[in-house]
Amino acid sequence: MIRAGLIIASAILLAFIVLPLAGLFIRLTPGEFIAGLSSQSARTALGLSAFTTSVSLALTLGLGTPLAYVLARGEFRGRRLLDALVDLPIVVPPAVAGLALLLIFGRFGVLGPALRVVGIQLSFTTAAVIMAQIFVGTPFYVRAARNGFLAVDRTLEAASSTLGMGPLRTFAYVTAPLAAPALLGGAVLSWARSLGEFGATIMFAGNLAGVSQTLPLAVYLNLQSGDLTIATAVSALMVVLSLATILAVRTFEPR
Amino acid sequence: MKRRSFAALLAALAVLAAHPAAAADAGKITVFAAASLREAFEAAAPAFTRKTGIAVTFSFAGSDTLAAQISQGAPADVFASANEAQMKKVADASLLAGEATAFARNRLVVIVPKANPGNVKDVGDLGRAGVKVVLAAPTVPVGGYARATFAKLNGTNGLPADFSSAVERNVVSSELDVKAVATKVSLGEGDAGVVYTTDVTPAIAANVDIMTFPPGSAPEAMYPIAVVKAAPNSAGAQAFVDFILHDGQAFLKARGFLSP
Repeated sequence: MIRAGLIIASAILLAFIVLPLAGLFIRLTPGEFIAGLSSQSARTALGLSAFTTSVSLALTLGLGTPLAYVLARGEFRGRRLLDALVDLPIVVPPAVAGLALLLIFGRFGVLGPALRVVGIQLSFTTAAVIMAQIFVGTPFYVRAARNGFLAVDRTLEAASSTLGMGPLRTFAYVTAPLAAPALLGGAVLSWARSLGEFGATIMFAGNLAGVSQTLPLAVYLNLQSGDLTIATAVSALMVVLSLATILAVRTFEPR
Repeated sequence: MKRRSFAALLAALAVLAAHPAAAADAGKITVFAAASLREAFEAAAPAFTRKTGIAVTFSFAGSDTLAAQISQGAPADVFASANEAQMKKVADASLLAGEATAFARNRLVVIVPKANPGNVKDVGDLGRAGVKVVLAAPTVPVGGYARATFAKLNGTNGLPADFSSAVERNVVSSELDVKAVATKVSLGEGDAGVVYTTDVTPAIAANVDIMTFPPGSAPEAMYPIAVVKAAPNSAGAQAFVDFILHDGQAFLKARGFLSP
């Protein structure tokens, strides 16, 4: 009796999650799918998303790894607060993130005048897209990397220094390889979050083909203009990418 | 505790029950109005009720939806449409008590941040290289109208023949709706944007200056109002139409509408 209940409840929820996503694939013939993806709008958005998420991932890795290491190894007052601050963008609604970015980095934002002096205007640029992606995606990486570093056996690092390795070489040859699964998993998740970024992007970077119209924005715009084929084809592609992301994270995840 | 809340509930019910009875003295009407009229009509309603004693219930939706509902026999007393096409539909089906009357106009305008970072002095400056123009996406009605207006200005009013393509090159963002255009310009992120006069709400107006298009170039939306033939309260309906045509104009003007 209980067993039947468990199975029925699970089946209902699973169907609820899988059916709508599967619907994206049922709706289009393979020909329409290809036609939708090879449309000008989809190709431009695909290229822009590939470029911006690559840059934001590189910056996330470059700046997030040291921060995660500090959070894992550092012993200082306020570390827990810092920990919480890093996680903040995960729970902040994207539209709020976009408004926040605009009010700081916008033309008349807090830093706007200073940026203008050096001839930089960020809103409505590809740089703004990348900033929005880093803002929302970084916490996923820093969190995973911090946990990965925490799980590394400190006695191995100590042994490495005893054997005459400097801190950088210890990190490169001992800590990083041991934490690699966590780092990779975090990187993939953070990349996926950046790829799906919509709210902060439309708010801070606007919407212009080739400059700020990433894949999620293209889906929304094509949907609005009634071009269901392109919207559905791009959506289906994003579901495939998301599924690949989750499978990749599962593979990297430390067991 | 329980008894007290029960008493409060009874009192509330008594108030609710008394309210329609009091209003029934002068009657009540149901007004079907375009969604864009919401703020203006809701602000005007208390003044109407004070003046006539008639209570107003609104049903706000897209004009096409409202026209369809009236055609299906919805119990409307008054129909206020955001365009003449939907009013004509209802009129052609002989569902109006009389002629529809224009009571407001809405018009495309250019808005510029008060600080004027792009040094935009007239509509022609939107084509000057480097000016950051924010429009709604071409698929959004106002985005389409704005582009059509720029095309109409090509080679007129002392503007170059390729004015519209020069403006199109300056577009830094195609926003997903007209409110987003107004917001981006009022924040000063864009140098200029094209919106309806009614989108320049008091909050937006505090941050932007308005520039009009040369006469005849920008499309205008005419808002007609009429009493519905099957109105349950035609006298009340006519009173509301009269009110909107006179005292109500102030409320419409406050929300950016132009007089008809």
